[in-house]
Amino acid sequence: MASDQVLLRTSGLQTGYHSGGKRIVVSGELPELELQPGRLVCLLGPNGSGKSTLLRTLAGLQPALNGTIDVPGVESHKPAELARKISLVLTDRVRGNNLTVQSLIELGRYPYTGWLGVLDEADKAAVEWAIGAAGIGALRDRKAHTLSDGESQKMMLARALAQDTPILMLDEPTAHLDLPSRIKLMRLLHRLAGQTRKAILLSTHELDLALQVADTVWLLEAGGRLHQGAPEDLVLNGVFEAAFAEEDIVFNKEAGVFVIHAAPGKPVLLTGVGISFFWTERALRRAGFTVAATTGATPVLYHIRITDHPTHTSWLLDNEGVSREYHSIAELLQAIR
Amino acid sequence: MSKISRLLFSFFVVIITLLPILGCHQRVGSKEPGTPAPGEVRPDRSIVKYAHGFTIDYFDHYKEVKILNRSGGRMDTLDYLLVPQGMAVPAGHPTAQVISTPVQSLIVMSSMHVAQSDFVGVADRIIGLGNGHYVNSTIVREGIQSGKIKLVGMDANLNNEQVITLHPGVLMTMSNPESAFGQYKTLINAGIPVLPNAEWLETTPLGRAEWVKLVGVLTDREAFVNKKFDSVEQAYRKIAALGSGAAVKPSVIIGMPFKGTWYTPAGESYMAQFLRDAGADYHWSDTKGTGSLALTFESVAPIALTADYWLNVGYADSKNDILSKDPRYSTFHAFQTGAIYNYNRRVNDLGSNDYWESGAVNPQQVLADIIRILHPGLLPADSLYYYKQIK
Amino acid sequence: MTESPIQKIRLMGLLLLVLLVFLLDLSMGTLKIPVSEIVKVFFSPKTANPTWHFIIAQIRLPKACAAVLAGCALSVGGLQMQTLFRNPLADPAILGITAGAGLGVAAVMLTGGSMATLYAIKELGVSGSWLIIAAACLSAGAVMLLVLTLSRQLKDNVLMLIIGIMIGSITLALTSIWQYFSDPEQVKEYLLWTFGSLGGVTGAQLSILSGVVAAGLIVAFLSSKMLDALLLGEHYARSMGLTTRRARVIIICSTSLLAGSITAFCGPIGFIGIAVPHIARTIFNTASHRILIPACCLIGTILLLLCDIVAQLPGSQSVLPINIITSLVGSPVVIVLLLRRKNLNSW
Repeated sequence: MASDQVLLRTSGLQTGYHSGGKRIVVSGELPELELQPGRLVCLLGPNGSGKSTLLRTLAGLQPALNGTIDVPGVESHKPAELARKISLVLTDRVRGNNLTVQSLIELGRYPYTGWLGVLDEADKAAVEWAIGAAGIGALRDRKAHTLSDGESQKMMLARALAQDTPILMLDEPTAHLDLPSRIKLMRLLHRLAGQTRKAILLSTHELDLALQVADTVWLLEAGGRLHQGAPEDLVLNGVFEAAFAEEDIVFNKEAGVFVIHAAPGKPVLLTGVGISFFWTERALRRAGFTVAATTGATPVLYHIRITDHPTHTSWLLDNEGVSREYHSIAELLQAIR
Repeated sequence: MSKISRLLFSFFVVIITLLPILGCHQRVGSKEPGTPAPGEVRPDRSIVKYAHGFTIDYFDHYKEVKILNRSGGRMDTLDYLLVPQGMAVPAGHPTAQVISTPVQSLIVMSSMHVAQSDFVGVADRIIGLGNGHYVNSTIVREGIQSGKIKLVGMDANLNNEQVITLHPGVLMTMSNPESAFGQYKTLINAGIPVLPNAEWLETTPLGRAEWVKLVGVLTDREAFVNKKFDSVEQAYRKIAALGSGAAVKPSVIIGMPFKGTWYTPAGESYMAQFLRDAGADYHWSDTKGTGSLALTFESVAPIALTADYWLNVGYADSKNDILSKDPRYSTFHAFQTGAIYNYNRRVNDLGSNDYWESGAVNPQQVLADIIRILHPGLLPADSLYYYKQIK
Repeated sequence: MTESPIQKIRLMGLLLLVLLVFLLDLSMGTLKIPVSEIVKVFFSPKTANPTWHFIIAQIRLPKACAAVLAGCALSVGGLQMQTLFRNPLADPAILGITAGAGLGVAAVMLTGGSMATLYAIKELGVSGSWLIIAAACLSAGAVMLLVLTLSRQLKDNVLMLIIGIMIGSITLALTSIWQYFSDPEQVKEYLLWTFGSLGGVTGAQLSILSGVVAAGLIVAFLSSKMLDALLLGEHYARSMGLTTRRARVIIICSTSLLAGSITAFCGPIGFIGIAVPHIARTIFNTASHRILIPACCLIGTILLLLCDIVAQLPGSQSVLPINIITSLVGSPVVIVLLLRRKNLNSW
């Protein structure tokens, strides 16, 4: 499955912009970056780390301060040539037009149509495929501005797919989407990369989903350094944690989530297994308790025993010799707070 | 008689003798009608015969001038008391402005005022002018050159401070009494009389010219003005009789359209009166209105295509000028026969047209021109004065 | 985008309507001229009554032609502006472009305080016309560039409109200063110009105007694809291969030619630029400029011819300035537009 073909390569790249005569460097120490067919790359990083600037520079929307971006098959960086290689889905709100969904998607064929923009058979086929791939067929005759955020995102994706380029770049495509839509979109992109052999690059704040679907992660630190690698590698070697590390923010490697309530609380002893154990521990942590796995040196305030019955679960609270049974976590917490 | 009774008697005699004199003063205070009784000729008093915009009333030692404004049936009047230098101002006219006669210095706004002053022989009393663009009078032009006449601006640009410093006997403006007279409050409060000279609102050529009598009244030169105006009047009436009595009346169109709208004089305007007196067939002679009619090119075209003469064609100097404004004029009959005449014969190097200056006070000359154009041979041969043929 | 046969039918229908209204405009005026006369003027001119022939051929026909040119030019200009600025209320008048053209015209008409200069310009005749057109187009283009540059700082359509209106005000103020220091005659002529008039364009002027408008329309039509791409905004347009800087220049040039030339000769005529593109979009239900540009030409022509018919107050001796009629017609359209949309950001 791995192909040695490289669709985009950077060398000595520095991103930034000019403002009031000054050169402002956003990312100054980027390593060599590559995009390969069939791979989904997620660009992650805290706010202000320069994700958007990097993406826009790679997409050709703004010039690099230094270095080169090499797209094989493209001589110059003229828009007309890049348009056949890279297509975009941006955060720009597309408004102020009277387009139907179908018409908007058809605009994606811009680099291939004649001087008046009339679509031929090949163009129409590409549009049909794009509509199907994005799953937006039912909406094709609606006016573009009447779509919901999620539908709109699919439409913009369809347009980019219609442009039929080897590289697809998306800037924060999951913003403004509800959770089910976010999951569906990420899943779709992952599948598309595999099916169409496109190189897909997307920037996102959805660490959770990104870690699940990305083949490669480009992790931008706040300082400007970029780490790249398989997501799991970045987690295991602590890079991931370090990139987002701040006071009171801890990444739980086992669960693969960021922990909100990290400060140690009052110790309790908890016995139980499986899901009930997992969720009871979370609840206790929220309430300000830390769970000790086994009786250790530290004296514990309470001992809680979880029992899973066929129809329900019960919690047995031992406190200085007195035992009480509860049938919900809420009641339990009520008792021990 | 005792001493006391002699004193009393003398006192009584004195009183009796004085009474008639006191009585005379009383009579002096009452009004003497301005119009002399039939048969009575007062060469030093001007009578207004044609103009509707102003009236002159004579009292024993002062004159009263009212400037009338007729608009929409309403009458607004501005009141002026012309009191000889040193005399007391008569009581009972709270709103009147007081002008000290004879006026020795004037500030005027329009070339028509310059012409009036020239006519009356007091052009050398002008010390200020609105703007120096439109002057034909030699005296005034020299005055501007030598610095004796200052340029004080017009309307909203009028330099109040300069005017107050110059302190003229009277400031003559062009606005009619209705429009924003309030802007002159400052000057009036500073003791400078402001007098709107609205001769351009008159509906007859003689009425327009008759405003020279206003300047005459201000400068105590009524005798001179009366004589001069009488000769103008007689000359005018004489040739008007010839003109309006002509057997054949040629058709005439006036002016040029601008951007599709043709402004042509309405039936009650002074230009229409000129045409009637000149024996012209003017299609709109019976229309109402004292200004211009705004007509579509289309409504004038049928007349224009066949009219015998075409007068007053804007700034055109040659047939090429006319064509360059609009090539369609070449189809006009008057264009093809060369019967186009314009009143710009007397335009000086400043671009100022004397038709609007001396022409306003010499209606007999303008009328003579028009009659010579329309009825060759009716008047003794002479060259045109204000008009010239457009070739 | 693809065209369906129904669009072609609609275009045909509108073309027919144009011919009808054109004939109607020719038959209306101060004088009652029977339709048979009009036909005679075209097909057997020798037999026609000379006065009527003159009126039809030399007065009404040039005016109707000017209406056609202005209707096409202003509506296509408005369409391009609405696309370029992605603002449904853009049109040359609101964004100060017409005022900019007016400034250029004022510069030519009011320069030099003396009659001699004004006279000299009139002496130029035909070349004087070129001077006025050039000045109007250049200043229109300059204003448009200014508005566009400022608008790129803003995402909000409403703010952009306000900027356009402000720039229009500045331009008008500059023109007023000029007027203030000019002679009454010049000011009067300029004032009459601001009322707008279709009747003043004849002979050589009409040919020049046709040439410039035709050039502008051709450039606009050839830019259809560019305009379509710009509907998505400059970033997307660029990503689809459009050289945005060059596109902007081309569109500004074409719009300045269209709006500037009409303003120079017919005075500022408003509301056609706003209203017609919306009517076109509603009838044709498309955003494709390939269809909208011809549609705007046809609808703009019909609308302006109708306004001209009304302005003539047929049968009466006077004519109303065309600007008044277009305002009366255009303002309700704009109001309805605003009421139908919830906000200016979605159409």
